[in-house]
Amino acid sequence: MWQYTLKRLLQGVITVWFIATATFLAMHSVPGDPISGERAATEAIRANLAARYGLDKPLGEQYVIYIGNFLKGDFGISFTQQNRQVNDIIREHFPVSATLGILAVLFAALGGVLWGALTAIYRNRLPDTIIMFLVILGISVPSFVFAALGQLALVNINNFFGVSILPVAGWGTVSHMIVPALVLGMGTMAYLTRLMRSSMLEIIHSDYVRTAKAKGLPAERIFLKHQLRNAILPVVTVLGPAIAAITTGGFVVELVFAIPGLGRYFVQAVQQLDYTVIMGTTVFYGSFLVFMVILVDLLYGWIDPRVRVQ
Amino acid sequence: MSAPLLEVQNLHVEFDTYGGTVRAVRGVDFKVEAGRTLAIVGESGCGKSVTVQAMMGLIPMPPGRIMQGSAKLRGVEILGRKTIEGREVRGAEIGMIFQDPMSSLNPTMTIGDQIAEPLIVHRGYSRSKAWARALELLKLVRIPEAEKRAKQYPFEFSGGMLQRAMIAMAISCKPTVLIADEPTTALDVTIQAQILDLLKDLQNETGMALILITHDLGVVARMADDVAVMYAGQIVESGSVDDVFYRSSHPYTLGLKLAMPNNDPGRHDTLQPIEGSPPDLFSPPVGCAYAARCPHSMRVCEARSPEQFDVAPRHYSRCWLHHAQSPHRADGLFLGGGNE
Repeated sequence: MWQYTLKRLLQGVITVWFIATATFLAMHSVPGDPISGERAATEAIRANLAARYGLDKPLGEQYVIYIGNFLKGDFGISFTQQNRQVNDIIREHFPVSATLGILAVLFAALGGVLWGALTAIYRNRLPDTIIMFLVILGISVPSFVFAALGQLALVNINNFFGVSILPVAGWGTVSHMIVPALVLGMGTMAYLTRLMRSSMLEIIHSDYVRTAKAKGLPAERIFLKHQLRNAILPVVTVLGPAIAAITTGGFVVELVFAIPGLGRYFVQAVQQLDYTVIMGTTVFYGSFLVFMVILVDLLYGWIDPRVRVQ
Repeated sequence: MSAPLLEVQNLHVEFDTYGGTVRAVRGVDFKVEAGRTLAIVGESGCGKSVTVQAMMGLIPMPPGRIMQGSAKLRGVEILGRKTIEGREVRGAEIGMIFQDPMSSLNPTMTIGDQIAEPLIVHRGYSRSKAWARALELLKLVRIPEAEKRAKQYPFEFSGGMLQRAMIAMAISCKPTVLIADEPTTALDVTIQAQILDLLKDLQNETGMALILITHDLGVVARMADDVAVMYAGQIVESGSVDDVFYRSSHPYTLGLKLAMPNNDPGRHDTLQPIEGSPPDLFSPPVGCAYAARCPHSMRVCEARSPEQFDVAPRHYSRCWLHHAQSPHRADGLFLGGGNE
């Protein structure tokens, strides 16, 4: 088990290194650089700036410098924002994104498992039809539409009651988080519902559930001990990529609800070719996701004994 | 003879499918006495499993439907009921084991927990007491190193071991009837023999009745006291194992016997299959279901479904050849032919 964990972590480090290298190369192959946008700058000023930031050095040398700095945990200084360390940007804004993301994932996973199990049990009956209709909506409607609709609904609800039940935008308390997390998790929840439904349907008709019935177990016990745990396996498998989708997809929701998350900086940096911020946020997101996937795999081993042994 | 422990009468089961209604079981009667073994024999799709699953309430409804009939345990109706006389029918009164032990156990639960589960649910045992009993049961079904094995998961067991664990689970609450639905079909021959011996020994120890569903006549000869031969949802011949094997009274039983591979070095017969295939149970024939494949078919066979003819005490056959007006000499046919 420990050996497996160690192996996975080592693979993770290699993955992160690969992400860093790929981002570095992709970033530098885009025409222009962070200082080419400066209007007033003459050739001489630009050359001086390039020399100051090391942008005039050959690509290989720049790469070595970047990687060296990463290893020291230094992501450098932002090109476009006044006097800000990339480390500070991440430190200030990532916890916001992470809180929102984790809440959204929890919501998506719990909702997906619950609705999925429900639709499977009520297969081809009214609850199934209604939920599956909503699921199709959830999968096909993009998150910014849900975000706008969610906000609109909040405004109307608050107006109706005359008091602010849940804040429409902003960040700070738990009440700020609920609706954005719901909106962010919606698509994933819909997807997990479908997955859970099909896996549950398969298990309802499996031989061991028949055995459990032949043992005369009550329905709740069969559901909890024999169906749920086995049906949940495929859901856990896609939870890793789902976390990736949610945390990187948070940008739109953060924008609509005016949440000071990392997503905004990530997207802005790419638009402005802010080399250090791009590298910093990408590598950070990358390592976070790799770590999450490893965590999910370990969780999988905990749920399914067949995976545990190797 | 003692009173029947379990008596099934006129059981009819149907399934709604996209192609129409399948009449899978069409009037099945049988009795099982305590300490005895009834084998239900027949080819795939003849309704053997459906019969016992209907009795146990294991048929998904819908699409399944029990149209009529009764199943009485010690004289008390069990169809559609979960408990009789305060005891749970499934798992406590009647235990059941299935064909494929590999897929019939929960892959994410330890063997010990799965065996202990009925004890916790039906007997109200504490977890530790149920676990201790589960270890005893594992030893009873001859699984070595029970303490270690109980903590393992189904994927760590071989097929034969899993079937032993299934048996341990099924007998954990000391059922009065054990139903074994093709218990050895998925296992290789040496393991088959071990499992059958185990079932026999457990039956001798506990005095439970055993209903053995199989299509293997070898297993029947080895295990059964009584035999019911099923064809197209009906029991076509029923009697003691000697009656059915040595005094077969239905052409289908004869056909099955001829189709059995023979290992006798002195004989070089070719295997004689039964020509044709079983009838479509979407619209079962009006007459005898076997008429289309029967070499002795008469006009009446196509027109009217045969009644039960008692050929001897406790031995009946559903075949018009036994009718007093039958042009064939039934006795001659069944004394010659496959009965030697």
